[in-house]
Amino acid sequence: MNTEVREAIIESGGDDVIKCYQCGRCMAACPWNLLGGLNYATYRFCQRIKLGAIIDSEEKEAIAADTIDVFRCVGCDACKSECPRGVGLSDVLRAVRRILVDFDSYPGELKSVVARLFNSGNPLGEPAEKRADWAEGLNIPQYTEACEYLYFPCCFPAYDARAKKVAQASARILKRAGISFGIMGKDEFCCGEAVRRVGAEKVFQTAVKQNTELFKKAKVQKVIATSPHCLVTFTREYPEYYDGFKTRHAVQVFDQLIKEKKIVPKKPFGKTVVYHDPCTLGRQMDIFDEPRAILKSIPGLNLVEVPVFNREFSVCCGGGSMGLWLDWPQDERLANIRTEQILETGADILCVACPYCLHMFEETMKSMDVDIEVMDISEILEASLD
Amino acid sequence: MDIIVCIKRVAQTAEADVKIDSSGKDIVKDRLTFDMNESDTYALEEAILLKEKFGGTLTAVSLGTVQAEDTLRIALAKGADSAIRIKAEDFEGLDGYKTAQLLKAAIKDLKFDVVFTGCIATDDYYSQVGVTLAELLGVPHATLVTKIDIQDTKAQVHRELEGGLIEHLDMTLPALFTIQTGINEPRYASLIAIRRAAKKEIKVIGASEIEPTGIQANASLEELFTPPAGKRAEILSGSMDEISAKVAGIIKEKGLI
Repeated sequence: MNTEVREAIIESGGDDVIKCYQCGRCMAACPWNLLGGLNYATYRFCQRIKLGAIIDSEEKEAIAADTIDVFRCVGCDACKSECPRGVGLSDVLRAVRRILVDFDSYPGELKSVVARLFNSGNPLGEPAEKRADWAEGLNIPQYTEACEYLYFPCCFPAYDARAKKVAQASARILKRAGISFGIMGKDEFCCGEAVRRVGAEKVFQTAVKQNTELFKKAKVQKVIATSPHCLVTFTREYPEYYDGFKTRHAVQVFDQLIKEKKIVPKKPFGKTVVYHDPCTLGRQMDIFDEPRAILKSIPGLNLVEVPVFNREFSVCCGGGSMGLWLDWPQDERLANIRTEQILETGADILCVACPYCLHMFEETMKSMDVDIEVMDISEILEASLD
Repeated sequence: MDIIVCIKRVAQTAEADVKIDSSGKDIVKDRLTFDMNESDTYALEEAILLKEKFGGTLTAVSLGTVQAEDTLRIALAKGADSAIRIKAEDFEGLDGYKTAQLLKAAIKDLKFDVVFTGCIATDDYYSQVGVTLAELLGVPHATLVTKIDIQDTKAQVHRELEGGLIEHLDMTLPALFTIQTGINEPRYASLIAIRRAAKKEIKVIGASEIEPTGIQANASLEELFTPPAGKRAEILSGSMDEISAKVAGIIKEKGLI
């Protein structure tokens, strides 16, 4: 037993290990174990940490395999929702990662993302000056105290050519509904969710400092987020440092606008749509009904569910905790499993509500050469407005 | 076998927006992450592999500020037995020659059969330190090494040349090798080793321990600047076929084929 390793992990935030009694429900819930033959022994992590026996081999290959396993967890929290003791295994693994990241002993692909994010304020390494380019021609004002909401697009919709359309559709819907909102543009920094989950705590602290100072100065009180990753971070992580603002996800706002008849979906959509619950929006923020209510309000839209694996049993796209940047072999990709489940529904459209899911599924559909379109919920909603 | 590996902590600039600071002689570093120089990670791994095979000692040496001790601790966690930091803050105007002289001063009293360095540092790209250090130590060297086989005091070494060629050398130890990336697969550190390394003492030497006579730079940095945009770049537009035809036309026109 190595008590020193155990204490170091607990000190880094892994205190949930104490609660685990190795029942194994986490392993049954973990999406990685839907892959045949991977055998991702999640239930062993806590016990191994209690014994200080994690990444403890003298063999180079065994150390590498163990390290990769620590970074394999995508933070979807399927395990946490099944755990009878409420163990946050993704938080436990984050504690291990913090120690490894401090010693630069982690995958090079992730190091590059951390470096880019720290340098440019976004994981894509795009210049801050271009952060508001997505809004060109939309007449969206810079946020001032006069605005009711700050619209926070997330890095992907701010820069990625495909995801920009999500920010644009969302902004146009808000404008149609007469919502008063502005954007921050170049001064905004990534929310830091993924960088924190991956264990790069110092970079996360930079993100928190930059954003909270910006929000304080501009007197931001209400935020609308397109990414559930921004939502969960602003809601659960930021209050420890600054709690002067509240965040809602775009689907919560859209749902309310429909209920208040400020927007009315009238144009028939005429397609069968399957909704994929993002882990951060569904399991982690308990937002299951609002996106379904939006889709059900659209005339002609036939909403179907993935059998069994819907709502709190949704399967992660694999993009969380920087999984988006880890290049797993074809037979080790969570998005492939999820895509197969989605294809079985026979839907024409896969509807997502998270920029990571959008990216992961777009890429997966290309690599699997299948005929289903991926759309963000804002794009579907906008198409149904007059 | 006694081994020394020289490592450098460098800013990760490959994908960063690099800006020159107000002195005009350095870059702004407050938004850059730092890590062990890439080819040094391969040099360290090669050193660990040799130590695993033959036993002996492995000493990691770095010329750097106090933050370089973090990088030395990574070397300790992966397999180095001891580490020495040369205080960069004690010395000004560090070019490749002066750096090599300081490294020599730090290791001259150590027993060694092999000295490893990376083949190039990704901050200044001098590629001078390894070869200069070998000369100062009076030992043979091979650069851009992609394979090493050691039998007793003999080493068979592969070097990477232009055009995909490999040069095969037979060398006698002690010798210095500058290691090319890709020679091996650098390892991760175990958690136990990380904890141990966090507490290990690092020997620190500076101006008061190093005899300054003769230690000097032979080049000084005058200015860093961003090269002006070229005037001869032309972006071709049109369909793939049209662009291909234009490219072919330019190549013919210039008499390149």
